[in-house]
Amino acid sequence: MINKYKINTGASVKDYNKVSDWLSFEIPNKINISSGKVDIGQHISTTLALICSRELGIDINSIFVNKLNTDITPNEGITASSLSVPNSGTAIRSASIIFKKNFLDFAAKSLNLNINNINLEDGVAKDPNSNASISFWDFSKTEDFLKLSIPEIIEIEDQKNFDHCSHVETKFINSIVKGEYKFLHDLRFDDMLHARIVRPPSYFHKFLSINNAIHKYLKDHNLKLYIKNSFIAVLGNDEFEVIKSLNRIKNSIEWEQVNKLANDKIFNLIDQNSKDSLIVKRGGEAFHENIPEIKSYNKVDHKTLTSEFNKPYLMHGSIGPSASCSFYKNGKFIIYSHSQAIYALKSILSNAFNLKEKNITLHFMPGAGCYGHNGADDVTYEAALLSKEFQNKYILLKWTREDENCWEPYGSASKNKLTATLDKNNKIIYWSSEAYSDTYLTRPMVGKLEYFVSRRFINNDFKKYKVEPRTGAHMGIHRNLDPIYNFKETRLVKNLVHDLPLRTSALRTLGAFANTTATETFMDDLCIEANIDPFEFRINHLDDNRAIDLLNDLKIQMEKDKPSENGFRGIAFSRYKNSASYCAVGVELTVSDNVEVELKQAWISVDAGEVAFKEGIEAQVEGGFIQAASWSLYEQVNFDNNEILSKDWDGYKIIEFDNIPLINTSVINRVGFPYLGVGEAVAGPTGASISNALKRALGERIKSMPFSQENITKQLLG
Amino acid sequence: MSKTEYILNVNGKSKNIVSSEDKPLLYILRDDFKLTGTKLGCGLEQCGSCAVLVDGSKILSCNRPAIEFVDKEITTIEGISKNDVLNEIQQSFKEFNAAQCGYCTSGIIVSLTELFNKKQTPGKKEIIESLSGQLCRCGSHASVLKAINNVIKLRKNND
Repeated sequence: MINKYKINTGASVKDYNKVSDWLSFEIPNKINISSGKVDIGQHISTTLALICSRELGIDINSIFVNKLNTDITPNEGITASSLSVPNSGTAIRSASIIFKKNFLDFAAKSLNLNINNINLEDGVAKDPNSNASISFWDFSKTEDFLKLSIPEIIEIEDQKNFDHCSHVETKFINSIVKGEYKFLHDLRFDDMLHARIVRPPSYFHKFLSINNAIHKYLKDHNLKLYIKNSFIAVLGNDEFEVIKSLNRIKNSIEWEQVNKLANDKIFNLIDQNSKDSLIVKRGGEAFHENIPEIKSYNKVDHKTLTSEFNKPYLMHGSIGPSASCSFYKNGKFIIYSHSQAIYALKSILSNAFNLKEKNITLHFMPGAGCYGHNGADDVTYEAALLSKEFQNKYILLKWTREDENCWEPYGSASKNKLTATLDKNNKIIYWSSEAYSDTYLTRPMVGKLEYFVSRRFINNDFKKYKVEPRTGAHMGIHRNLDPIYNFKETRLVKNLVHDLPLRTSALRTLGAFANTTATETFMDDLCIEANIDPFEFRINHLDDNRAIDLLNDLKIQMEKDKPSENGFRGIAFSRYKNSASYCAVGVELTVSDNVEVELKQAWISVDAGEVAFKEGIEAQVEGGFIQAASWSLYEQVNFDNNEILSKDWDGYKIIEFDNIPLINTSVINRVGFPYLGVGEAVAGPTGASISNALKRALGERIKSMPFSQENITKQLLG
Repeated sequence: MSKTEYILNVNGKSKNIVSSEDKPLLYILRDDFKLTGTKLGCGLEQCGSCAVLVDGSKILSCNRPAIEFVDKEITTIEGISKNDVLNEIQQSFKEFNAAQCGYCTSGIIVSLTELFNKKQTPGKKEIIESLSGQLCRCGSHASVLKAINNVIKLRKNND
């Protein structure tokens, strides 16, 4: 028997409710999907094609996903916050269902058949008693097709019979392994100019002068220099000559330092600097209300514990540098960008260059993996600016490794302070959790052009801008500050700390990585204090059955595998934003005599609702685990009072193949439940499970990431 | 600006090159041979994106002048598959979807091609040594390791 259930067709359909906004049938035997989400390595193209393939019964290889082009594809906002499958996936699923239903009605009428007597195969409806047939592609030529709209609620049939676990080759893997997959960096146009920015030593250096001798060198090497106040770029036809000139030009410039980068260590600054403090209520929204004192309970009937967790600045650190290509002619821009925020950029560039939006077309071209607001937006603005100065030529601007490491907006350094009280029954009756951090939300926007780092140099604007705290549920700093557990009373405080030294914005999970790590490590301290098994202790504080199922699933997975010699295990759990995927992580690690942490095994259990693409979910959570393990064990942006020191990969270590554990991933398929975004769910539980395993190995909670030899030794030696 | 003329042999094809003497191999591959599968990652020989084979051994191409490689057989990711037939590592990467954004993948496949050309069934230590310095930021490592194990398994089965 086929079960039917209703789904909400989602946020994207509200703005684009025609089937033809999402699906086109212009080429015989092929279907093109339009999506406003970009493929940044998370396999969204494959997932969307698979969703369409499943609903329409068309081979995935006949389904193509159009690359985002702001003139054509639907505006679905930013590709971020684990919303691509919930929004775009649900829209494409809904469009496919509506299309198929109406096609069958159309076919029945055209073939003069009862719907139940139609044979539908590969998009062709056939009369089994004659050769008569009609196809999707015939239907798409009718006016009825163009009129098809998607309602807010639709009925769908569950797909229990569909093999959600079968292997599906991802859309671009064949061209990637052959080296034929084209990245933005590979664009070539006739007479194109390559460009690089000549960066000052820090955010606070003003251009004073340049030694005139450099001009002869530039002329001899067919290079052009562009200087506008303190924004400087070099351009030329030969990419290597452009790169080679950078140091020579830098050495010929005199800069004035108008401000120091920092005047103390970051965690002292977080404590000392002025703050906006807001109360966060259950549900995750923040309010400008008085902050109550932390409650105290009598020691006879209660146990009260405290905890602190420090996270340094982390960088996105894409392997390929940020890049953009721009062309300007007769008042119009054509721009190639690998930003997550292509549609927003169209509006912002219109604002920045005082042009109507219709005169700006942005095309998405892939860059190296992107994990939030990195340099992709900045470089797009910079390329556009240069193309306006050097009109009628394509300008391909790439950042250098030093640009990438020193000029991207980082994930903020942060501090979490927690207090909790256990009653006599070892139930947590009081939970206070405070997050202290700079903002995670400085994506450029209309009216906030100073969020483009180069805009300030163009205007010689060295002011420090104060950002306002955001209050929406689970926004940046207070994402996942509200625990999923059923604590009787909570005191949750978001502290936006001002005047911190480094540029910050959205890095994968925003504040959730720190908040979940802080929450789940403290849960472990409490369960050790209560002498209760970590699974049981968490389940004792949960009402959500999906969460309980997930923890039980993780426990079963972990019990199947034999412990490694000298291995210590830790677990952690969260539901991202308390509304996206559920994810539980187990880790087993060893610590060597010289305090090096080796990851031996990892287990991930994930519930992302109905499975759209199982291998895609596995890739996202395993990749997210590895990235978060890298943050936890190795990463930290170093800087002194004058400049950022982590200029290259020697100065910013990330995880390599020598510390990748054996990972077992269990995906729970919730047929009939909405798709839940999965790209960020694993990070927080990863940080916490590593910390928890480490506590069991060392007998002490290491309070500061990264859990490096240096930090562990420093803490253990006091 | 003084330029020099030399011949390079890449993926079995020779080409006359005119460039400055210090121009790294990477830019010659991308600009003159139009082979863009080899990537510019850091330009500092730290990330492995620009790995190619020279006479069968891996080198990083982003800094070393192309002129060093005259009279050598240079193989890029595009030359690893012959007549559109993938080598066993590429094939295994494909079967295991062993890439996310794919920017680092060329360098990783080139490294492994060198390793598997030299060792029939390399051990864990040799695999890690081969991939040392091949950075990946998306976290495709787990799927890459599965693809490698698959190659080893197939080779053992064929022994």
